[in-house]
Amino acid sequence: MTKPKISSDWMAGCSGCHMSLLDIDERLLEIAELADIRATPITDLKEPDESGVDVGILEGGINNSSNEEVAHRMRERSKILVAFGDCAVFGGVPALRNMCGTQEALQRAYVDIESNDESGKIPNDPELAVMSNVRALHEVVDVDLHVPGCPPDPDVIYYVLKELAQGRMPEMKDENLHWH
Amino acid sequence: MINLTINGKQIEVEDGTTVLNAARQNDIKIPTLCDHKNLTPYGGCRLCVVEVKGMRVPIASCTLPASNGMVIETETDSLKKSRNIILSLLFSERNHFCPFCQVSGGDCELQNAAYDEHMTHWQMQPQWTNFPVDTSHSRFILDNNRCILCRRCIRACAEMSGNFTLGVEERGSATIVVADTNVPLGESTCVSCGSCVQVCPTGALIDRSSAYLGHDKNMTVTRSVCRGCSLGCGIMIHTRDNRIVKITGDYENKNAGTLCETGRYKTLDEKRTRLTTPMKRVAGQLTATSWDDALTILASNLTSNKNSIAALASTRLTVESMAAFKSLFADGLGNDVVTSIEEGRPTALQAKYAEANGESIEGKLDTLRTADCVLVIGADLSETHEVASFYIKRNMPKGTRLIVVDPSENGMDDLANINLKPKAGTDEAVFDAIEAAVIKEGLARTDAKTSKVSLDVALSACGLAEEDVIAVAHMLAEAVAPVIVYGKGVSAFGGEAVMDAMVRVAKLTGASDSERRGILSVKGEANSLAAAQLKMDVPFDVKNRKVAYLAVGDDFVSKRLVKALDDIPYVIVQASYESALTERADLVLPVSIWAEEAGHALNTEGRVQFAEAALTGPEGVRSNLDLLNEVAKLLNVKLNDDWRTALTARTSVVEIEM
Amino acid sequence: MTQKITIEPVTRIEGHAKVTIHMKDDGSVEHAYLHINEFRGFEKFCEGRPYFEMPSITPRICGICPVSHHLAAAKAADALQGSPAPRPANLLRELMHMGQVIQSNGMHFFELSGPDLLLGFDADPALRNVIGLAHAAPEIALKAVGLRRFGQEIIRTLGGRRIHPNFAVAGGVNKALQASERESILTGIEANLETAKMGVSIMKDWAQRNMEDINKFAVLKSGYMSIVNPDNSLNLYDGDIRLVDRTGKQLEKFPGSDYLENIAEHVENWSYLKFPYYKKMGFPEGVYRVGPLGRMNAVDSISTPVAGEEHRIFKTLNNGDPIGQTLYFHYARMIEVIFCIERVVELLDDPDILSTDILNTRKDYKGEGVGILEAPRGTLIHHYQADETGKLTKVNLIVATGHNNWAMTEAVDSVAKTYIVGGEVKEGMLNRVEAAVRAHDPCLSCSTHAVGQMPIQIEMLDPDGQVVKTISRN
Repeated sequence: MTKPKISSDWMAGCSGCHMSLLDIDERLLEIAELADIRATPITDLKEPDESGVDVGILEGGINNSSNEEVAHRMRERSKILVAFGDCAVFGGVPALRNMCGTQEALQRAYVDIESNDESGKIPNDPELAVMSNVRALHEVVDVDLHVPGCPPDPDVIYYVLKELAQGRMPEMKDENLHWH
Repeated sequence: MINLTINGKQIEVEDGTTVLNAARQNDIKIPTLCDHKNLTPYGGCRLCVVEVKGMRVPIASCTLPASNGMVIETETDSLKKSRNIILSLLFSERNHFCPFCQVSGGDCELQNAAYDEHMTHWQMQPQWTNFPVDTSHSRFILDNNRCILCRRCIRACAEMSGNFTLGVEERGSATIVVADTNVPLGESTCVSCGSCVQVCPTGALIDRSSAYLGHDKNMTVTRSVCRGCSLGCGIMIHTRDNRIVKITGDYENKNAGTLCETGRYKTLDEKRTRLTTPMKRVAGQLTATSWDDALTILASNLTSNKNSIAALASTRLTVESMAAFKSLFADGLGNDVVTSIEEGRPTALQAKYAEANGESIEGKLDTLRTADCVLVIGADLSETHEVASFYIKRNMPKGTRLIVVDPSENGMDDLANINLKPKAGTDEAVFDAIEAAVIKEGLARTDAKTSKVSLDVALSACGLAEEDVIAVAHMLAEAVAPVIVYGKGVSAFGGEAVMDAMVRVAKLTGASDSERRGILSVKGEANSLAAAQLKMDVPFDVKNRKVAYLAVGDDFVSKRLVKALDDIPYVIVQASYESALTERADLVLPVSIWAEEAGHALNTEGRVQFAEAALTGPEGVRSNLDLLNEVAKLLNVKLNDDWRTALTARTSVVEIEM
Repeated sequence: MTQKITIEPVTRIEGHAKVTIHMKDDGSVEHAYLHINEFRGFEKFCEGRPYFEMPSITPRICGICPVSHHLAAAKAADALQGSPAPRPANLLRELMHMGQVIQSNGMHFFELSGPDLLLGFDADPALRNVIGLAHAAPEIALKAVGLRRFGQEIIRTLGGRRIHPNFAVAGGVNKALQASERESILTGIEANLETAKMGVSIMKDWAQRNMEDINKFAVLKSGYMSIVNPDNSLNLYDGDIRLVDRTGKQLEKFPGSDYLENIAEHVENWSYLKFPYYKKMGFPEGVYRVGPLGRMNAVDSISTPVAGEEHRIFKTLNNGDPIGQTLYFHYARMIEVIFCIERVVELLDDPDILSTDILNTRKDYKGEGVGILEAPRGTLIHHYQADETGKLTKVNLIVATGHNNWAMTEAVDSVAKTYIVGGEVKEGMLNRVEAAVRAHDPCLSCSTHAVGQMPIQIEMLDPDGQVVKTISRN
């Protein structure tokens, strides 16, 4: 039986969920034995396999056009899609931007801020993603499993990965469930 | 008794029990949010809904009286779905950011409710509209983004402090908690009691002083007694690494969790410099020295002057310390000026009265809490004994009437139904006038036919208007449970005659009778009554004394007291903080503060309570009691440590409960 | 007509970056750009929050170095409310910071850049990662995990969790160190010091064997910045900010509160990351580097014995000139880990380390405060202004990696031009372009206070815009 494939990516988050994943320490090797770890932000494969992966894990919410592409692509290519961490599940801290407005935030950072010089203007090169409002993952695509936490505890992540790697859906309750 | 079935279990409860409480009494857990054991049920959050056989929709169990034959289900699939949706709606209505909220991670009842329902996400996302964050108050912050409109804060403001500052404005999703007519909290009628913060189930109300200092699970909680005044409210001291993080009210004590700004917050405002080493005056300068040296000097000094000591102790000290102090300086060394920092002003009058008459004329605070008419005289309760004012204020919407007698401005003037502003120093005449009015109006509960003084004479003496006094007479005498509350204003300036007059009025109006004692005095500080019982209630007369010994502990000391020491050759002070007094002293001995020393407190209603120590004092500091014991040993005085007997040696104005 | 190669995303960095390489007709590189493609807006959306929440909000800027923000925010809050933290609190904050630098630098060296150094730039992309490293060099991998755990556990001991801890507050910290906890940290010193020394040694060996690359891979001239002690030795927690020029001569030494007089930010249309520079010299003349390479150049010495000696050796690499070779970031990074471990011992041996005098509750409210820190990736500046009720009115964050933006874009351009010649673009070349970014251990979430991600695909177009070759990484 081939090992299930797991791929991950990050969007409008802080990478803390992936760092918490690294905090499972040596248990990472155990997971690597159970599953084939494919594209992630810390491995050099650049996108989830076109042929599809068993588990797609996304950290971070959606706050620009590029995040949206990532979210759709991961959904298309994953049998099970996991919203990983509070940003993906709820919107998280970056969603504070919804309360002040995207343009207001851009204006403050690139034009008004005290340390800016006269070159201050909002970047709009076509190479750059276009900012949007901040959304939780389930507002953009269907999500199969939510793993909240800011970040989720390493023990929770280890439990979730181990279950998924063995073809089971983890039970998110008791010590495996926290939003903080 | 009511018989009903919950989840198939037959149970029996008292009449009037709600379905929620019926379940609780039988170990059946129903989730709640707006419910609070100390506040009247509200039924707003809908989380406690249950299925009632025969009823069309699920019903909130917190406001549903149990009735015979009811069949209740609390764990159906449909109810679980409901709870999920209810919580989701609560979350989506405002902007909840768990990551950085101070209570997130154990102390948020909303978050914990979500965990209990195994919620992993929100079914609906918020709209992300901005809700106001009110940062105008110096003690706490109201973040409306985190509010679930449970109204616990509003109920606490009404039912605990009786201040009625908080309410709601608007309707539907625009509903918002506001202060007064929607003014910033910092500019409102709020009295900073902190009851709202204590009961808030989310991070909507956040104490500035304890924010981010740790969660409940990081704290050590010690049950203790507030030393802010003589009411002796029960408190819970939350500490971490030997620091008080916050103080909350003890729900299991008689104050049922209610505190005032003094008890909850002002203790944490401490700005004085702590004393950590004994000091002696050498060539005009205070210099640090060792305990051995300090005690040697002390022993020698007190031994040579043992009959010429004027001794004063703070009433913030424990009963044990005060009793030891008395035993040492009065009984042991034979001095007659052994008194408390209050010098008997708030207590001597009634103490003598009780002794002379062999009668405890005062009642318990419960009498105040259940009074339907209160006359306050010689006391500004909202300034000095604020929780007592809460007990009155919170009952006023239920019909309790308030009469305030005060020649000057009183903090409760605006609330009073009747304000009497007599001439200063005429308390006896005021009571005489009321007595006369009661009899004149035929309202007397006893068979008294004549008053000591005629109404005209009494009115003329105190300068009050007849119609006002007549109105007071009616208000008191027609009440079912009237109470007279008096304070230092009466005790410090009155003579025995005013006590007589007060007691007559109490009897005539039904405040006091064979079953009830409707008179209370608030006295002074924490162990004010203990000082009275120990006869430490004389003026601090230092004339011709060679030594003054002042055990002030962590108390504040007036300029007048320091000035009184001008001509004393030698001043010994045991204190916790630097002050003008320690600057004046010739020998300074560092001692514990209130929270560092376990001991008993005797509150104004005669209840003896034990306060645990919550902190360890800094190195170099002794407890007040240990120090006094050591001094006694050095002077070969055997102390009487039976403080219980000492407290009941004289008849007390209020019965002492050990 | 120029062709364009796009590298999207740059992997094994924190955050979202994209590189576009514009080719000349002769197959050489015209110019390469580093586009940082993320933005969240902390500087705006924190307005209206009470200032004392910032030690809890700002760690969410970054999950690798949340402690940097946690501590800088607490320091800015100290200043804003006029409550200097008691000495024991500063010792404890510094202890947490050491834990952080150990874990972050260690993780970057072994787990993010390590695969390039230990498996090779040209290794199979499917294996060129931390798991591949674990299979190829299990002992090193285990020690690396141990080193990260050691740092993370210091953070968890003090703040309750490894990522986004709750410890530093305005006026101090909320927990004292217990004697048993101190003992526990001390037991990990020896082994992890060995691991750190092993890292330095691995890098020295690699440098010896790859001297040609060292001396042609993005060798840049710039100023250098670090926080320093009064004697100009390294201090990662507190001190004045020192800026030296490209010859190593001091240009400025100023307290954090004066940062606006010295640092300005330039905006380019093609990146969401701004470009800080030294105001008096203008942009781009006034650019400088921060982080391990910046610090090793900007400080005169390191006070602890082993790291101090390593630093002395490091300074001799260019015969007294500042070290401008980008790949030496890795070497500098591990020297810092040694310093931090030695500093942990100094802190734990300080007589005040177990003290409970850890919070100053007296306030002398100022309404404005600046908190600075040397984060793993460079000088971090938090600047808050609040109204008289404590509600934030203005927030400015200049975050570590941001100062290196110019350097990273220059490095990308330089490496592209050095290694992509003759029109043939091999995967390993592109990895080297990415390695130019990686060497700076950028924290792009931090620096843009935002995050985004993009896939990588490289298309080579002929002059007619037809695709002649597609290289993608999967």
